Amino acid sequence: MTHHEPNGATRARVLESLTELGGVVSEFKDMISVTLSKSKVIEGLKVCRAEGLEMLTDVMGIDYLTYPGHRGKRFAVVYNVHDVHGGNRLFIRVELDDGEKVPTATGVWRGADFLERETFDMLGIEFDGHPNLRKILTPEDLDGHPHRKDFPLGETPTLFNDGRFIDPAAFRSGLRGDDPGLTDWKGGARDGVTSTQGELPGEGGTQG
Amino acid sequence: MRINVGPQHPSTHGVLRLVVDLDGEQIVSLKPQVGYLHSGFEKTMENRTYQQGVTYSNRMDYLHGFAHDLAYMLAVEKLMDARVPVRAQRIRVILTELNRIASHLVFFGTTMLDMGALTPYFYCMREREGLMDIFELTSGVRMNYGSFRVGGLYRDVPEQFEPMVRTWLEAFPKHMDEYFNLFMGNSIVLARTQGVGVVTREMAIDHALTGPSARASGLALDFRKAAPYSGYEDYVFDVPTHEDGDIYARILVRYEEMIESCRIVSQALDMLEPGPFRDPDRRISLPPRWELEESMEAVIFHFKLVTEGFHPPRGEVYVPTESARGELGYYLISDGGSMPYRVKVRAPSLANLQSLEPSSIGGLFADMVINIASFDPVLGDVDK
Repeated sequence: MTHHEPNGATRARVLESLTELGGVVSEFKDMISVTLSKSKVIEGLKVCRAEGLEMLTDVMGIDYLTYPGHRGKRFAVVYNVHDVHGGNRLFIRVELDDGEKVPTATGVWRGADFLERETFDMLGIEFDGHPNLRKILTPEDLDGHPHRKDFPLGETPTLFNDGRFIDPAAFRSGLRGDDPGLTDWKGGARDGVTSTQGELPGEGGTQG
Repeated sequence: MRINVGPQHPSTHGVLRLVVDLDGEQIVSLKPQVGYLHSGFEKTMENRTYQQGVTYSNRMDYLHGFAHDLAYMLAVEKLMDARVPVRAQRIRVILTELNRIASHLVFFGTTMLDMGALTPYFYCMREREGLMDIFELTSGVRMNYGSFRVGGLYRDVPEQFEPMVRTWLEAFPKHMDEYFNLFMGNSIVLARTQGVGVVTREMAIDHALTGPSARASGLALDFRKAAPYSGYEDYVFDVPTHEDGDIYARILVRYEEMIESCRIVSQALDMLEPGPFRDPDRRISLPPRWELEESMEAVIFHFKLVTEGFHPPRGEVYVPTESARGELGYYLISDGGSMPYRVKVRAPSLANLQSLEPSSIGGLFADMVINIASFDPVLGDVDK
């Protein structure tokens, strides 16, 4: 019952316009992201809305502070836009340093209001020109922004009955991608071990 | 006059607080204040292994928990390139659709309750009870299921599952028709819902409204059709839409959706064939129990998978799905570790709440209460 153009056609058209604005296109598992500069992002979102990707579904922030091997700026804001039939989707990215402001998208979509407030609340990224940039989810008296990677988890080290402590942060550091852990095991069978499945896809999360 | 509504009030469907400015009985402005249920699920999931995340996902939307489980699993499976067996996909669809009906039944009952009709609530809860029994049979609990695993299910459904679902499916549409005719033809219901709380198509697009509420405003947006996942492309079903955008249309769309969900479930049951219920890939699935007694290798895998979990390759994924409230997706970032680097839930209820203000302004205060109910917010889904 939905009559619309095949998946990807609108997306391809918008991508062309965004590349003209200086957008850098990247693809991972059929998800296409376009990185725009801070000054061009609102223009880019207007292009999306005008050329067929009419809905802004989500605004999210990412803190790359502890991401292994990350060079470039600390924060990224990702706008998730799609068309009214849902078949075409693009992720518009802006990269930001700590304290850098990004212009608000509330002028393009009024629905960006709560989404940007959530991003501000969680990561402390300020949206310039937002009509009501206040905390939305966390309590008024909470200092800081919980989704920043330097925000502590608030858990307590656990005392075991033989006098041994397990420090949660130290315990977890062995599970991070940049730490080989004790065995450097990243899943999958060892060479020469037959599996009941027969074949295993070769690519695992090797070499973190 | 400024009135504070909630957060502790049954008509706000959870801990939602509204600051309402009134001119006489007319609403001048309405500001939702949320966050009372914020539990930091996303941050917690970033500090648990991928498999442990399923414990948290269904606790956000407690009325449609299977949808959150499915959305989270699809994102992890995309990251891992897991191949979910057909049987597992079908069972996931059956459970998710039945859960959608259960969620809409709560919607139907509570919306009527807000209009002062107590009886439909009991009828809806009685129908939902049958579904709760089915969920309890498959997952062991009535809420917060968490029975999906990366690559499939935690175990196959028991033998009684199929006859139980079929018996329920046979009875439900007849009962629901009866309730629907009984209450939706009522002149008080019509007077209070038709032409009230109107959301136009443009408003829906501008305010990021998705799901049944958007489809009541003429927006034919359904990710089961637009970007089929978990085998939805195999089933024949319609996406009900209405043009009016009022409260009546929002109730009607959800009623029709229940009927479509029944169609999907019965097709999925017909197509259900014996087979594996989990991806046998050793990177993500535990070895079968018998192997632990014979193979040291299997014991090691078992231990490592349970304690440490698997390590997906680096990357960022997002899979949009359709929950009973709208577009639901998990944006996962992997840094190559066994815990997600970043989890961002695109929860439909928070974005949908933004349409409450423009559709309530100019209306009566008494209508606002039904208007909240008609958007069907789940506050766990709003606050995360």
